[in-house]
Formats: sequence, structure tokens, C-alpha cells
Amino acid sequence: MLKPNIVTVIYWIAVKTGAFDKNGLDIAENPFPSGQTAAGIEQLLRGGIDFYLGASGEVAHANSRYVEAGKPVPLALIEGGISSGSFFVLQDSLRGKTLDELRGMKLRIGLSNPSSYHLILFRAFLRERGMTTDNFAWEFLTLGGPEMLPAMVSHQLDGFMHDALTTTLAQRANAGFVFMSSNRGDMGENAKHLPGTGVCGNRDFMQKNSDTTRRFTQALRDASAAYAAAPKAQMVAIMAEWSRQDPGVIDDMYGNFDPRVGLTPHAAQIWWDILGSAMLARGEISPKLTLNDVFDLHYVQQTA
Amino acid sequence: MNTIDKITRADIPARTSPGYSQEDFLRHVRLRGRRIRIRRILRGGTGILVILLVWQIMSQVLDLELILPQPLTVLRNVIRTLTLTEKPWLYGPNIYVHLSHSFLRAMTGFAAAAVLAIPLGLAIGRMTTLREYVMPSIKGIYPIPGIAWIPLAILWFGLGDAAVVFVVFATTFFPLFFNTEAGARMISPTVLDAGRCFGARGLVFFFRIVLPATVPYIITGLRISLGGAWRMIVAGEMLASQDGIGYLLMESRFQFRAVDLMTAMILVAVVGYATEKLIVDTIEKRTIEKWEVHSS
Repeated sequence: MLKPNIVTVIYWIAVKTGAFDKNGLDIAENPFPSGQTAAGIEQLLRGGIDFYLGASGEVAHANSRYVEAGKPVPLALIEGGISSGSFFVLQDSLRGKTLDELRGMKLRIGLSNPSSYHLILFRAFLRERGMTTDNFAWEFLTLGGPEMLPAMVSHQLDGFMHDALTTTLAQRANAGFVFMSSNRGDMGENAKHLPGTGVCGNRDFMQKNSDTTRRFTQALRDASAAYAAAPKAQMVAIMAEWSRQDPGVIDDMYGNFDPRVGLTPHAAQIWWDILGSAMLARGEISPKLTLNDVFDLHYVQQTA
Repeated sequence: MNTIDKITRADIPARTSPGYSQEDFLRHVRLRGRRIRIRRILRGGTGILVILLVWQIMSQVLDLELILPQPLTVLRNVIRTLTLTEKPWLYGPNIYVHLSHSFLRAMTGFAAAAVLAIPLGLAIGRMTTLREYVMPSIKGIYPIPGIAWIPLAILWFGLGDAAVVFVVFATTFFPLFFNTEAGARMISPTVLDAGRCFGARGLVFFFRIVLPATVPYIITGLRISLGGAWRMIVAGEMLASQDGIGYLLMESRFQFRAVDLMTAMILVAVVGYATEKLIVDTIEKRTIEKWEVHSS
């Protein structure tokens, strides 16, 4: 999983609340630094890891290459977050400007990687308005989440697209303001329900170990239930430990971030309609790729 | 360059041996030179063909098309990329913009390193006192890998060209410096004495004796540094840039397009090779061959 990265904190909640133990799983962690989403997927493809918690777009990219080659798709998104949690933060000096006004400005926008989930979501938002990022005079610079705030403070960046934690840190440092937030509905009503965190697995492994896979997804759902039931202070402590942040930061972020998983067919369809379409329009994925090539919801227990 | 290729009529006596004329000998030398060139091309070509064949077999037999695309697939992609017909193009500006930006960054860092490393290497190589003061510091910094400078370069220069250029500079400086320094330090005392005996002093001594004697080492340093510049430009652009060949490599990795990755790698290799031919070979021709100096 990506570590330290707030989007994968459900894993740590599962560890701390004993959800893996309860489901009879002994987990070995294999962390990848923020922004290195491709490395995790590569390991998943090679069989170096069994499951991967991180972004979701890379599964579609990787599977698309197999579809183009006429081969069976190797990976699947089997679970996902219940909230997209995508934020577009800008320097305070840009406050009050509209997207149209910002479009022609030479802004330097930070991203954790070139196929960032946040960028794909922004592209999807633009696409609905008949635009692409090529219509913007912006530079998209890749740098790890932890480096975004220092880069903002030192005015090397005019903004960034990242998660709730980096956004909270920027707000606490008075380095910027939230220009757009998927949770607020700025990127469309449906974008609120996008699965932000992706839990991916290797299809071969999952087929051979379907019981283990079910127990793994169940552990994450148990952790989600524990999160909902636990006092805030307990969860703040767990999240602070995982993200290596001050509990005060997590406390500030708490209302803007929901770490729980609970992927539904409806959420998968929203993912496909918004992110899948944006990737398809840009040529990142094959037109032959289908929703079922990306998602496999067999392993999660769907509740009504 | 093989010296036999350069033999002229003036280099040989009018009659070499009974029954053979000067013309016969020159024809023999030319034929031999041509045979050597053909042999080199054939051997080099065979080496490349073997690599391509192994590559093709591995890709096909082991069914590795997605992680090791076949040579022909890559070649087609190289052509499509260079003719700007690659669809979809997911990497921002066209390939020539990426290549030219990488080239400019690599050459700026490399040139800055050369401007500093060569005079410093010559001075330290010839001045024992200066060497004793400076060498421990330089040797202390030398083991730091180029890639380790990247975070610091971003802090110092921000995200952008300056950081990448600095990292290239930090990588290319040392091979050039150490080669130049060694060359200047190891000039044969006989050569130096001969120069002094002929009355060479000051700048004349430097330009006629020290510099020509050091040039083979400088050329080696330039060659190693230039390769280092290309290696580091890719790493630097992966972390602190939004264009260039390193950026293209990173983006294609995130798109899981091995064929684009290999295309970018081949283009780096070709441009790197061409740059070396253009810069180092030209300098070599204008110095080593002109001055007829050779490393001992």
C-alpha cells in the first residue's frame, strides 16, 4: 500500500482494531511511497504482493494494455473508498478568481504522479464542459504529497491536487484555500460518491485464493464499521500514527475525510462513467475495456 | 582513428621493397584500412543483430510482449513517434520538444561542469600545494551519488530546469575533474623538461606542453561525463520536470506502456550517441589528432 498516505489508512485501522486477526489473516506490509502508485501495480502484476491499496486509475491503465494485446486482464479493483476526497488547493493570492480567469494564467500545479486520480477527476470535470487540460496554460508538476506543502509555502507551486490531509496541512499553514473539492460537489454531484481509495488484487491469485480474498475485503469492511462506531479520539490517534502527522492535523481533517470502504456496483458505475470516460477520451485506455475488466465485486459482501 | 588510415605518400620511402612501388604500397594500405572498417561494421552489426534476435526470441517465446515488446514493434513505435503520428500521444508536447529540452538541460550542466572541472583539474594536477588543500574536499564530495543531490537541488533551485541542470553538473563534474587532474599530474617529466629546454615558459609552456599532454585524459573525462549527463538528465527530469525524456519515461511507466518506455530509452541512446560523436569526437579530432598526442 501507499505509505504514509491517508487514503490507505483503512488498512491501519484494520490492523489496530484487530479486523485482520478476526478474519484469520496474517498481513505482511509492503509500503510504497506517495506517488509511486505504478510500483505497487507492477508488483501486483508480478505476483510480488497479493493485494494493493492505493489509487484506482492504474488498474484500468494496466488492464487496458492486456485488452489491447488480446490477453485476459490480470488485475481487478475489488473494493474501494466510499468518498472520493479529491481537493484542488490554490495559493491565497488566487482567491476570488474563476476557473475561466485562471485558465490563461501560467500556474504551476502539483500532482503526486502523471496519472494521478485527482488529475483524472479534474479532466473528467473539464470534459463535461467541453475542455481539456490543453486549454489551460498550466504546468502540472509531479512531486510527492509530503513535498507539496513546502513547495506551496516557498511559492514553487501555485496549487496542487491531492487528498484531504495535504489540503488540511496547507490550510493550517495558511498556504492556500480549497478552490475545488469533490466532497463539496464542485466536480459534480456524482463525483462525491467516487471510490477514491482503490483495493486491487491479482485475478489469478484471487481465483486460487477466493476465501482469503473474501476475508481480506471483509476485514476492511469490519475496520470501516469499527471506524464508524469508535470514538473520534481513538480514530484520530490511529490515523495520526499511520500518516505520521500531529493528531491536531488529523482532528482538523476529520470532517473532510472518510477512510471507510464500501464499494457498490453503483459506485463502480460512477467511477466508470466519470473516470473511465475521461481516460477513454484521452486515449489512456482502450475502447474495448469494459467496466467488468476493471472491477470485480465478487469478493465483497454487498449490503442492501 | 587507426593511424594506418592516415598514411600518405610523404610517409613512405620512394621504393619500399624490390618489385613493389610506392603506389602498390599505398593501395595495400588503403585496402587494409577498408577491410578493417568493413570488419568493424560487420562485427558491430552482428553484435546488434544477436541482441535483436535474443530480444525477439525472449519476447515471443516467453510471451513477454507487454513488458518486453518485440524489436519490430518498438521500431514501428520509434518511427511513429518521430513522424509525430503516434496515437494517442499522452505525453504533452511532441517528442522533439521533449528531446530538445533534455538536450539543453544536459548540455548546460555538462558545459558548466567542463568549464569548471577542466581548469581546476589542470591547476590542481600541476600545483601540489593547491592539490593538498583542495583534493580532500573534492574526494569527500565525490562518493555522493548524483541522484542524492536531487532533493537538495529542488530545495535550492526550486522545481524546474535549474535543479535538473545542477544535478547534471554535480554528476558530470567529477569524472571530468579527476581525469584532467590525473592527466596533468602524470605528464612525463621528460616531456616537461624538453619543453623547458626549448625555452617554453608561462602560457606558452601551458598551451604547448601541459594542455596537449593532458588532452587524452580530458577527452576520456568528457566521454564519461557526457554519458553521465544523459543518465542523470533522465533521473532529474523524472523528479523535477514536466517535460523532457525523463518525464516521458515516467509518464509512460504510469500508463503501463512498455513500448513507449523502450522508445524513449532508444531515443536517449541515439541522441546520447550522436551527442558524443558530435562533441567529443570533434574535440578529439581538433586536439589529439591535430597535436598528435597519445595517452601512454
